[in-house]
Amino acid sequence: MNPTLLAQQILNGLAIGSVYAIFALGYTLVFSILRIINFSHGAVFTLGAYFTYLLTGSAINPNGQLARLFGGLFGQPALPLKLPFILALLGGAALAGLMGIVIERLAFRPLRERGADPLLALVSSLGVAVALVNLIQYFFGAELYSYPANPFGALPAAINFSGEGGPPIIVRTIQVIIFGVSMVLVVLLTLFINRTKTGKALRAVSEDPITSSLLGIDTDRLILVTFFLSSFLGGIAGALIGLSVSIAGPYFGIAFGLKGLAVIILGGLGDIPGAVLGGLVIGLGEAFVPAQYVAYKDAVAFALLFIVLLARPQGLLGRALVQKV
Amino acid sequence: MAAFINTYGFLITSMVLAAALGLSLYLPLMAGQLSLASPGFYALGGYIAAVMSTRLFPSTDGTYPLPLVLLEMLVAAVASGVLALIVGLPALRLRGIYLALATIAFVEILRVLSLNLPILGGAVGIFGIPQPFKSQVEYLWIALPLLLLAMFFVYRLENIRMGRAFVAIREDELAADAVGINPTYAKVLAFTLGAILAGVVGAVSAHFLNTWNARQGTFDASVNYLAFVLIGGSRTFVGPVVGGMALTALPELLRAAAGIDGLPSWLALFLREGRLILFGLLIAIGTVFFPQGLITPNLLRRWFGRRRATKSPPLPDKHVTQE
Repeated sequence: MNPTLLAQQILNGLAIGSVYAIFALGYTLVFSILRIINFSHGAVFTLGAYFTYLLTGSAINPNGQLARLFGGLFGQPALPLKLPFILALLGGAALAGLMGIVIERLAFRPLRERGADPLLALVSSLGVAVALVNLIQYFFGAELYSYPANPFGALPAAINFSGEGGPPIIVRTIQVIIFGVSMVLVVLLTLFINRTKTGKALRAVSEDPITSSLLGIDTDRLILVTFFLSSFLGGIAGALIGLSVSIAGPYFGIAFGLKGLAVIILGGLGDIPGAVLGGLVIGLGEAFVPAQYVAYKDAVAFALLFIVLLARPQGLLGRALVQKV
Repeated sequence: MAAFINTYGFLITSMVLAAALGLSLYLPLMAGQLSLASPGFYALGGYIAAVMSTRLFPSTDGTYPLPLVLLEMLVAAVASGVLALIVGLPALRLRGIYLALATIAFVEILRVLSLNLPILGGAVGIFGIPQPFKSQVEYLWIALPLLLLAMFFVYRLENIRMGRAFVAIREDELAADAVGINPTYAKVLAFTLGAILAGVVGAVSAHFLNTWNARQGTFDASVNYLAFVLIGGSRTFVGPVVGGMALTALPELLRAAAGIDGLPSWLALFLREGRLILFGLLIAIGTVFFPQGLITPNLLRRWFGRRRATKSPPLPDKHVTQE
């Protein structure tokens, strides 16, 4: 493989891998507090993409019920506002975050209060995911949506660096933005967890929920904060992927949701640096699948997941769990 | 009655097959193993039947001979069983959520493979699978005995040594190990039995659905089967059967409800277009309000109390007289 191609693949891998990372951080946050995998995270990812799309003031396909609703309210099948993309991204993610709180109240808290088997939370969150995906289909239709072209105004769509005698390295502006936004979020999240009082409380709850609630930490509020953050990250990931390729319909978060599971297992469940590392490893791994096997790309993450589970179930960075009797 | 069967024949057979799939997930769960691998074996069985009936025994005109379907079911059972052993031996060292994730990965890997192997027809899949029966409701001739056999098998299993070993492992694997149960053997056995059942159901379904593609073995299917078991009840084999039937019928019931005269048009539209929204919400709400599932052993004991009571052995007289 020549060096320019290598550089190009690394670049592509890092861009997609960084989105995997922030998406998987959403799973990790919830898992570290509740020891539960929130299977509706993939649906929240999709929601984030659609919310951001709405906030950019783009039109809804007439097949979606929302088009009729907006038509009645505003006389056009779109919201009467056109936010700049970065604001729409944050707004969409915040709405996804609020949805995370709703999901917590609906699917997780009632089970927790009844002291039910943690596996049931898996099923109830899957139920919520089914409902959300079909709500999206109901309101937006099953069509493919693309964000408005050229969301960054004057910035060029891509920059070509000429390679030495080979094809040029193409750096898409979107890739740079995706990577930049993701890394900023990872840094902010790390600072939040390590430097703030709420972050300290989160770490305490993830270490031992009962003791920390005895020490006066409001566990219930922290769980809400966790779900908000988790869904915020999931929503941003969805919007970024939607920006990079397009929103391929209500189901496009499901496959991504599964891949996110591979990422957190690879990195170690409930481990923040692990999730970031896992995301980048899977992103790079997929970028290096040779072109003739590209149809098998989707299997890479799961093959890695399977192998890691068998060889090192605690993940790349995780600590081995000790079975307590 | 004939009109009813014509309209709902497909649904009734689907319900019976879904009940059997619920049981296929219940079997590993009996031994406490949350495996979501059933759709993988279901897809495998279906592909075996589809390839055998379209390539190996090219259709003579008219109906497809029933013995060949039984042969396909047998091949599907053997293939699923062997694959389950190969996957299960390493994978069942994992517990709880880790095992669930490993089995999700297994299903996804199989799905990508089936999308890309030329003999399996790519994304379009295999269609025009020959029919052994003239109408879909006649598939009950296979599906119903299959379900009843599986139910009887699991019912017996719950009362023999190996079945009790499964339950012991579900309750506490370390303790079961300590009293001399071989957990690995029992877990792999439970997993393999579930896989065989799923593979056989797949072979029937391929004929029943007439077409087979990679969409049969997806994560969505894993979720559905898990919902069959957990909504129906995971502590008795009656649960997954009831759950599978109820959850398969539910979207159709919602569709039928949309057709009731006199509903406001927005409600009818919502019931028709948005019935999967309600389906998802019902799963979530059902989990919250029936954490044990709809059918629990206690409930069965209340319904069939007398019959169950006589089955427990009477106390030995010795203890009473030895005061």
